[in-house]
Amino acid sequence: MGGKSKAMYKFSLIVLLSLSFTLSGCGGNNNNTAGKAEETTAAGTASANTEGKIEPFKVSVFIGAAGQQPTPDNKIYKKIKEETGASFDMEFLAGDINQKLGVMIAGQDYPDLMTGNTKLTAAGAYIPLEDLIEEHAPNLKAHYAEYWNMMKDPNDGHIYILPNYGVYNGKVNSSWYSGPAFWIQKAVLKEFNYPQVKTLDQYFDLIEQYKAKYPKIDGSPTIGFEILNYDWKNWGLFNAPQHLIGHPNDGGVVVNDGVAEVFANKDYAKQYYQKLNEINQKGLIDKETFVQNYDQYMAKLSSGTVLGMFDQHWNFNAAEDSLTTQGKIERTYVGLPLVYDESTKDYYRDLAVLNLNNGFGISINAKNAVQIIKLLDTLIQEDWQKTFSWGVEGEDYIVENGRFMRTQEQRDNAADATWQLANKAKAMFDYLPKTEGSFSDGNSTDAAAQPEEYKAGLKPFDKEVLDAYGFDSYVDFFSEPPANPVYYPAWSIDLIEGSDAKIASTKLNELQTKFLPKAILADPADFDSVWTDYTGQIEKANVKAYEDKINEQIKWRIENWSK
Amino acid sequence: MDETLEIDTVVRHPKKNRKKKKKPITWRLIKNQNQLIWMSVPLMLYIILFAYVPVWGWTMAFQNYKPAKSFGEQEWVGLKQFRFLFTDDNFIRVLRNTLAMGLINLILGFVTAIVLALLLNEIKKVFWKRTVQTISYLPHFLSWIIVTGIVATSLSINDGIVNIVLMKLHLIKEPILWLSEGKYFWGIVGASHVWKEVGWNTIIYLAAIASIDPALYEAAEIDGANRYKKMMFVTLPGIKATIVILMIMSIGHVLEAGFEVQYLLGNGLVVDWAETIDIFVLKYGLAQGNYSLATAGGIFKTVVSVTLLLMANGISKRLGEERLL
Amino acid sequence: MMDNRQISPGPKAGYTVKRSLGTGRLEPILFTSFNTLFMVCLVVVTLYPFINTIAVSFNEGNDTIRGGIYLWPREWTFQNYRAIFATGTIFDAFLVSVARTVISTILNIFLTTMLAYTLSRREYVFRQPITVIFVLTMYFSAGLIPNYFLIKDLHLLNSFWVYIFPSMISAFNMIVIRTYIGTIPESLLESAKIDGAGDFRIFMRVVFPLCKPVLATIALFVAVGAWNSWFDAFIYTSSRQNLSTLQYELMKLLSSTMNSNGNPTVQNGVGMDQNSARAMVTPLSIRAAITVVASVPILLVYPFMQKYFVVGLNVGSVKE
Repeated sequence: MGGKSKAMYKFSLIVLLSLSFTLSGCGGNNNNTAGKAEETTAAGTASANTEGKIEPFKVSVFIGAAGQQPTPDNKIYKKIKEETGASFDMEFLAGDINQKLGVMIAGQDYPDLMTGNTKLTAAGAYIPLEDLIEEHAPNLKAHYAEYWNMMKDPNDGHIYILPNYGVYNGKVNSSWYSGPAFWIQKAVLKEFNYPQVKTLDQYFDLIEQYKAKYPKIDGSPTIGFEILNYDWKNWGLFNAPQHLIGHPNDGGVVVNDGVAEVFANKDYAKQYYQKLNEINQKGLIDKETFVQNYDQYMAKLSSGTVLGMFDQHWNFNAAEDSLTTQGKIERTYVGLPLVYDESTKDYYRDLAVLNLNNGFGISINAKNAVQIIKLLDTLIQEDWQKTFSWGVEGEDYIVENGRFMRTQEQRDNAADATWQLANKAKAMFDYLPKTEGSFSDGNSTDAAAQPEEYKAGLKPFDKEVLDAYGFDSYVDFFSEPPANPVYYPAWSIDLIEGSDAKIASTKLNELQTKFLPKAILADPADFDSVWTDYTGQIEKANVKAYEDKINEQIKWRIENWSK
Repeated sequence: MDETLEIDTVVRHPKKNRKKKKKPITWRLIKNQNQLIWMSVPLMLYIILFAYVPVWGWTMAFQNYKPAKSFGEQEWVGLKQFRFLFTDDNFIRVLRNTLAMGLINLILGFVTAIVLALLLNEIKKVFWKRTVQTISYLPHFLSWIIVTGIVATSLSINDGIVNIVLMKLHLIKEPILWLSEGKYFWGIVGASHVWKEVGWNTIIYLAAIASIDPALYEAAEIDGANRYKKMMFVTLPGIKATIVILMIMSIGHVLEAGFEVQYLLGNGLVVDWAETIDIFVLKYGLAQGNYSLATAGGIFKTVVSVTLLLMANGISKRLGEERLL
Repeated sequence: MMDNRQISPGPKAGYTVKRSLGTGRLEPILFTSFNTLFMVCLVVVTLYPFINTIAVSFNEGNDTIRGGIYLWPREWTFQNYRAIFATGTIFDAFLVSVARTVISTILNIFLTTMLAYTLSRREYVFRQPITVIFVLTMYFSAGLIPNYFLIKDLHLLNSFWVYIFPSMISAFNMIVIRTYIGTIPESLLESAKIDGAGDFRIFMRVVFPLCKPVLATIALFVAVGAWNSWFDAFIYTSSRQNLSTLQYELMKLLSSTMNSNGNPTVQNGVGMDQNSARAMVTPLSIRAAITVVASVPILLVYPFMQKYFVVGLNVGSVKE
């Protein structure tokens, strides 16, 4: 770098400039220090009494995910501004987060409030929140009381991020299962008079029989089974084995008695892929399954010709919407928690877990951290939470005998993204601390989970299916989940960017993407040799580093998270 | 000799007397050329500031760069990043794929664009000609995700247009699962590039053709040259300088086979043919927050590029063709 | 000199070949019909993706998922466009995009041509080093973070000028123009020199007007590049809504649609609206509408520019 003096010159210039900025900033601040005292009391009593003068303040926010700027006259943000004085200057991410974070961190250019990210934590971009909460935020303190230890950063024990999901209160109404399962068309179940399907073999038998009986659906060839493995959506191919032996979703590992092992190369994984190889021989697997992209996969699902697949519900939800619009309810899916043999108890459905490393943290550049934490403390109170989730009473929902409900028009509005921009504070609420489960008056915190709302959306055919099995909702197909293991889930463990563990996991991923399709499509006689080749390569990929890191963290969690 | 060239209307190239001895730089010369200097040196300083000054960042390739630390605090690791890159089992394969697809794109891109420019030039109806030009450049404005979406649909075995046409023509008996075979992959990527960019690539040649003196065509016609002859001996030589210069520049870019198409069209079955250097660096560099590895990858590509560029320039010079430098 | 010798004999050899009379009449017709046929195929193949995109953009998002939309929408809707224009940020962003495109194009054309002219002068003493300095810039990049520091030190962060200053000259375009200037007969420049014109005057009065066809091309390249770029808005001005460009706004919209249609963390709640099975925007449909909105304005540049190709011809004949 030839130009030390030039750098010095530039540096002094910057110092001068930033000095002038801070000076003018101070000038601006001066006249609201007077108002600040007032503001403090106002915020403290905001819920009870909003008489006090409310000083407006701006909070700059970085949201590390895509989102849309709300309209300037959005009614919820307006309400927040009127009652607390806060307005938000939101910046959303569109583009590669690694590039954006790289320059943000390098330049130390942080806004006041940022969504959680392990890279930002590692770079020291957030301030510790424990003392702030202790001093200024009694509501947040109560909200997170049960979870306090889990929120601590594994590296230095400070709390930097306020998790946005996973804190439950009251009765949890659950009517929609969003997680992984083997899915099967409702029509298949109906065809065979609603049988009990518990094992993988039973599942593929049904599909085989149905396909033999109906080689075509609506004029197109029937597809027995789909496996999506496109881009980062790889669980359709990778994740099933752990569930088949009765384990919950721990990502790439299975945890037994607190010890994790990679399962991709184990015999119980081989059993699954051998089964797929076998059904492929029978022509049950879509020929295109490994070359299709996500759009093609969704097109096939929404054409109603696909009998089954392994997937997470949220991933193909849009295809079911499309089928519903087409009036093909019987082609939508039921999730089945399959296992290898009936003696194994299924463990697909789990109790919600704290959404670590997600939610908001306050940056080291924030000048008004106290003001911000007080704001967050106000917004966690129940009336605000209702405003966020249900909206404004009378406009967005109605109350009958103390129960919250919506008219059809209000439901339609709530599902309309354009309407949301003007009438919901979705962008902020997604990341704010929130109450989940039910409010103190028994209403559900999530409109869609309100039992009345769920029933209103149920179609006659769905009632028939549920009645046949004697269930209230499709969630009942899954066993009631046990209490989560302390460490759970292993997939939320941060492998640390660029570490050997992370590189090994990337490598493992590569090998699975390459070899598993090969093994499934192979001639049955060749299956074993492909499998040996595959496990041999995994051996070389240093998966030990990956397992070690997971185990180290599991241990840490067990030590620190146990109550 | 100079005299004859001056009046030669066929050749519009200026005299290029390259063997002329270089004049020594004198104050007098500089004073004489002060306008040229004022017109170019500030721009040179500008490009040095914006392109060369930030190159201090290449030091990252020899560090374990962490953006949160200042320059003085960075950990120096020598050639570790390069070693990671070059010793990976996949590196040779990835390099092969990059070179192969880069070369295919280069050659296909050049040939198709030039041929299309020549053919467009033969259209006499101005309106039709402009219509074809305008339409053929439309795909350039579609993102790769849209283009690859259409490519994947067209290659499908269910109702993909490619399989339907080939079946109708009895060229194949059964629909082919194009995207599952490594041997087709490079061709598919090459064809997709041509489809998307041929119209756009043609523009530059059309501009060059537009500058050819019509008198040359008239003269050729008087001499009885047919369409083909005019193409070969008037049009092509007229745009040769442009072709050669563009060729030299593109050879330096042969490692820029890209990553989007390969990423979007690739899958587990063809990964051995689809992965390029850019994808590799993305996966183990940027996606891991390892900016150092990304920088090392960039440096490697630059070294190869500049070497190729200088070679191409040298060969062209030796052949007496247009040169870049 | 070598290339001269290679070219010169060509036409002469050509002139001596007399075609046989038989093919004389037939050949042009055959050629023309084949050429027309070829062009028709080309038009069909290159027009299809765009028509397809337009068709998808007017089709209901929920229905688009089924696939099978080719040339015409199955379920008409304006929903996708409504979603784009609903935010209201689009119009401001459009103006920013227009401003940056126009200013970039004008500056680029002027500066790049001026530089190209000086580097086309063989007698210019710094010709070689300056050429090398510029050409090399095509083959390396310092990387994201160092560039960010440069922009930050120059106080261009969150400034409109960050769209303009870093890309005022492109080495590629400079070389293309230089090559073109190389084909202008020396005699024209010489005569201007004899009239006592300095280099700047020659450049402004002689070279600049003569370069119209290539400048039209370069203008198109620069304009399209400036119009389509979003990365600078993403890295350098993303915290300033009023500096956002059209492409970046559309990018945000697209990513947010993709996000809301498949993000495990956002949908991590216990319920899901069964009633949401209705016309709504999906990534597929919104992407199509975005493509149309983003590209149609810039597509209009090319037809406008084409007339300069003809002007080029005229200039060519004028100098006879």
